[in-house]
Amino acid sequence: MKFRANLWIGGALFATVVVGGAFAPWLAHTDPVMDANLMNAEVPPGAEFWFGTDAQGRDIYSRVLYGARIPLTVGIVSQLINTVIGVALGMSAGYFGGWWDDVVNGLTNLMLSIPSLIFALAIMAILQPGLTSLLIALGLTNWSYTCRLSRAATLSVKQQGYVEAARSFGSGSTRIMLTQILPNIAGPIIVIGTLGMGGAVLAEAALSFLGLGIRPPFPSWGSMLSDARDQITTAPWISIFPGLAIFMTVLGLNLLGDGLRDILDPHSQLRQA
Amino acid sequence: MLKKLIFTTAVTLAAFTLHSQAQEPRRGGTIRFTAPYATSFVSNDSHVSNSVQDEIYGYALHRSLYKWDSVNNKPVLELAKSVSTSADGLVHTFKLRDDALFHNGRKMTADDIIWSYTRLMDASKNYPGAAFIRRIKGALDVQNGTAKEISGLKKIDDFTLEISLIEKGEPGFLFRTATTSIFPAKEAQDPNFFNKPIGLGPFKFVEHIPGSRMVFERWEKFYVAGKPYADKLVISPMGEAAARDVAFRNKEIDVSILGPTQYVAYQADANLKKGILEVAEVFTRNMGMNPTHKPFSDKRVRQAINHAIDSDLIISRLVRNKAYRATSWLPLSSPAYDKALKPYAFDPERAKKLLAEAGYPDGFEFEWTASPNESWGIPIVEATIPMLAKVGIKVKVKPVEGSALGGIIAKGDFQAYIWSNTSGPDPLTQMKCFHSKTPRSSCNYTTFSHPEVDKLIDEAGATDDLAKRNEILKKANAILYEEAPVWFFNYNKAVLAHQPWLRGLQPNATELALQYYEDLWVDETSPAAK
Amino acid sequence: MLPYVVRRLLQAVPILLAVAGLIFVMFSVIPGDFASTQMADGRTVVDAEQVARMNTQFGLDDPVHVRFAKYIGKLMTLDLGTSFRTRQPVINSLLERIWPSLQLAMAAMLFAIVIGVPLGFLAALKPGGWLDMQSMIVAVSGLSLPQFWLGLMLMYGFALILGWFPSFGYGDGSPRYLVLPAVALGVAPLALLARTTRAAVLEVMNADFVRTARAKGNSEVRVMRWHVARNAAVIVLTTLGLQFGSIMGGAVVIEKLFAWPGIGSLLVDSVSLRDIPVVQACILLLVLFFLIVNIIVDVLCALIDPRIKYT
Repeated sequence: MKFRANLWIGGALFATVVVGGAFAPWLAHTDPVMDANLMNAEVPPGAEFWFGTDAQGRDIYSRVLYGARIPLTVGIVSQLINTVIGVALGMSAGYFGGWWDDVVNGLTNLMLSIPSLIFALAIMAILQPGLTSLLIALGLTNWSYTCRLSRAATLSVKQQGYVEAARSFGSGSTRIMLTQILPNIAGPIIVIGTLGMGGAVLAEAALSFLGLGIRPPFPSWGSMLSDARDQITTAPWISIFPGLAIFMTVLGLNLLGDGLRDILDPHSQLRQA
Repeated sequence: MLKKLIFTTAVTLAAFTLHSQAQEPRRGGTIRFTAPYATSFVSNDSHVSNSVQDEIYGYALHRSLYKWDSVNNKPVLELAKSVSTSADGLVHTFKLRDDALFHNGRKMTADDIIWSYTRLMDASKNYPGAAFIRRIKGALDVQNGTAKEISGLKKIDDFTLEISLIEKGEPGFLFRTATTSIFPAKEAQDPNFFNKPIGLGPFKFVEHIPGSRMVFERWEKFYVAGKPYADKLVISPMGEAAARDVAFRNKEIDVSILGPTQYVAYQADANLKKGILEVAEVFTRNMGMNPTHKPFSDKRVRQAINHAIDSDLIISRLVRNKAYRATSWLPLSSPAYDKALKPYAFDPERAKKLLAEAGYPDGFEFEWTASPNESWGIPIVEATIPMLAKVGIKVKVKPVEGSALGGIIAKGDFQAYIWSNTSGPDPLTQMKCFHSKTPRSSCNYTTFSHPEVDKLIDEAGATDDLAKRNEILKKANAILYEEAPVWFFNYNKAVLAHQPWLRGLQPNATELALQYYEDLWVDETSPAAK
Repeated sequence: MLPYVVRRLLQAVPILLAVAGLIFVMFSVIPGDFASTQMADGRTVVDAEQVARMNTQFGLDDPVHVRFAKYIGKLMTLDLGTSFRTRQPVINSLLERIWPSLQLAMAAMLFAIVIGVPLGFLAALKPGGWLDMQSMIVAVSGLSLPQFWLGLMLMYGFALILGWFPSFGYGDGSPRYLVLPAVALGVAPLALLARTTRAAVLEVMNADFVRTARAKGNSEVRVMRWHVARNAAVIVLTTLGLQFGSIMGGAVVIEKLFAWPGIGSLLVDSVSLRDIPVVQACILLLVLFFLIVNIIVDVLCALIDPRIKYT
């Protein structure tokens, strides 16, 4: 197998971010909230503060590390929810057809018609800001691609011999779907999931940027960017580092997704993705 | 060295001021103003909205009975030449201007004022100006539908109007804002009036591109001879501070209101520094505490909070000295400001002791409702969190949208909030917010109740002697300090940056972004001087 | 084709109803109503009685389902209601915003297509190569920059430092004012477009009919031009259609930043003032736009690729 640069670089970037977030308490120099010292406000990057400090005098390096936790949790968990919903709806719709297929199609169209950020905004406005709300808002709004894909794949797999065979042996529908169909569509779904995770990280940043993320003062890259909006020219480091962190994560996930696609799915069926 | 620097700056400043005073105002050119707050203009109808944004254009298009004299800090007659007041202080007789022309050339008479005020009381419309007009006798009957006309408004002749109020007070505080501006009685009923509004102001309406700009041109027959100076006026709503900053540095706009970050940046820039206008505005930034949250019902806890937060540090480092430390409620520019009061000292030890006395030796936790505002919102709360933690108080931030904050507070749906409230210009009106009879929804947000304060406010209201009244209010203000219903954070220092070619700006302490455009002029160095 | 279009349009009705319902639920749950937003400035006192009076005036006292039923009833007669803030018919506020909004959305689209599609093609020529990697980095940077940020950077760079364009406003409607907001808005769809183009081209190049064409001895250029371009166009068009929604959504931030008089900035103001009829109308209009654009995309796809059939 040839060396796949995108897979390895992507994987390394993503792993770096995950390690940074997971081991933040050991890697960070200070507490991200309590160790604020207004006398040290807006110190440029240097030996003491690697990434400088923000307007509150907090160490940006430590905040960027801790700030990984929310986007990563939200990215991974919400994408899992999306995948489960999308696969369950899409596969069952493709497998059973009939009125259920119509209902699922209608729902998918509805989800596709409303810009998902507006949908997420509505959910965040209704629930109180917080991690659970973020998971719900982003976990319920991005399953339509997965759903369409699983449905299409199920339709094409359904006709093939081995599914017919399984059915004639008397296997139940759920069993057939899980053992015969799911493994066949797993590749594209993992790819979509990886790419979607990048999307969720961005969506979290956008929501936090609009003040609808988690409660301050716990850091999240999006809210760090938002807080620094007026200091872009006077203290650019406050926004550069969380911005870079977002960029690294999303780039890593995208490269990873492409790499996985090349391995898992050489004859891509991702017409829609 | 430093002394020398200060001296040179002072001399330069003095020379600059002298220079600008000496120069004759120049006619012509375009004033490119900005409306610097969140939303764009609400409406073309100044009666409909009380947002500052709309008042900013209202000052160009319309006129009210009174206007605000920014230099002397008091309301003065505008559409009337003189006023006489009856012995009981309730009936005011106005001799109206006979030279005020609407933008279609028709002369304003007493009928227009009566019509405008009556319109404001229309029960089906709920205009915000009704809050002022209902102080006229009989106005409430119109709102309740039992009368068609306001009985307290009497036309003596075309240019004489008698207004009877329900209680004593300076009518100038009631009839000066754009929400009570005078509309042309007949023309305003035309269905097309909304799209082509006319008024008595120094500038005529040209166009409104909602969300982008409002354009005006000089009203040649404005009643002040020789004014306005500029040919044209463009006002752009620009709520985003960073965008305004670029446009200002790019010389596309003539004024900008500065936040703390930009205040520092502009002071550090040799060119921008020359065009900074600072005013101690009548806004008090504070954290209100709800006595229904048990710890806050104890005065010692509230005092402990005032001691535990290092307000001076926050003001100097985070607010960048774009504020004055608050002592009690009434601000620096208030006539009843108490110079003798010293602000709460930063003293965590004392705070701990007070908390222990109140029965909270290990502190307590509360939820703090805050909007994202950089000067009186979440950033300030974030700065206090470590300070309060040191005395054992845990803070949970509850973020809310800026536009929803007021409603939440008025409903009492909070444990603590941080807000910026007007605390002037009239000290009596503002102190009434702490009278136990004032309900929470009408500005007694912390449901403050103290018999001594009630007595003092009532006494002040009954006094006609202004100096004496202010002395009484000072006493009430001192009790507020002691009782600490809020954390007294700061009084706003409003900062307006203007291009060197824009002259005639007024230091308006009620709201610096509100300027009378007829006094503004642009010199020939403006890119829009033609 | 026509029956298909009609059917798609009819499908839009339940979607619009669902969206309207969602907004109603949202505004009945979030704190604040129009009356109390009036006191946001800390200057104005709106006491409980005035709030109650205004809520009655705007019919906010009724339970949500009653209000919703009333609203739908009015909507059937194409009446969008009266704006709380202007006290004027909503349709007036909406109409004057449509053209600037479309101008901006189309300019952003154009920018995304002109740069994004060629970039995707180039990347696909040598998958996994240096150019591919670079285009991916460009695409991802485009996606991970918050639009607000990007807009500000453009202002600094192209208005303040270079002085090529005005930094804000609508001006006299000349294209000079359009450039910066359109670029800020177009970068995210550009990135996605580059990526989809790359994927589409790669996929089509490996497809059987292209291999056949190559085997028949057609030159590489001809293969690219005809088969690949046509087939990729379908995928690119579909992406564009779906991206239209995010362009309209992103306009909310960008229009506000650049003081552009579009629907996005009207929407932001109306949400913050809780002017529910206007919010409703704006979002319904955006969804309707989105649906129509996607129907047009489907029709175009069928015209480009005769193998696509709609029934």
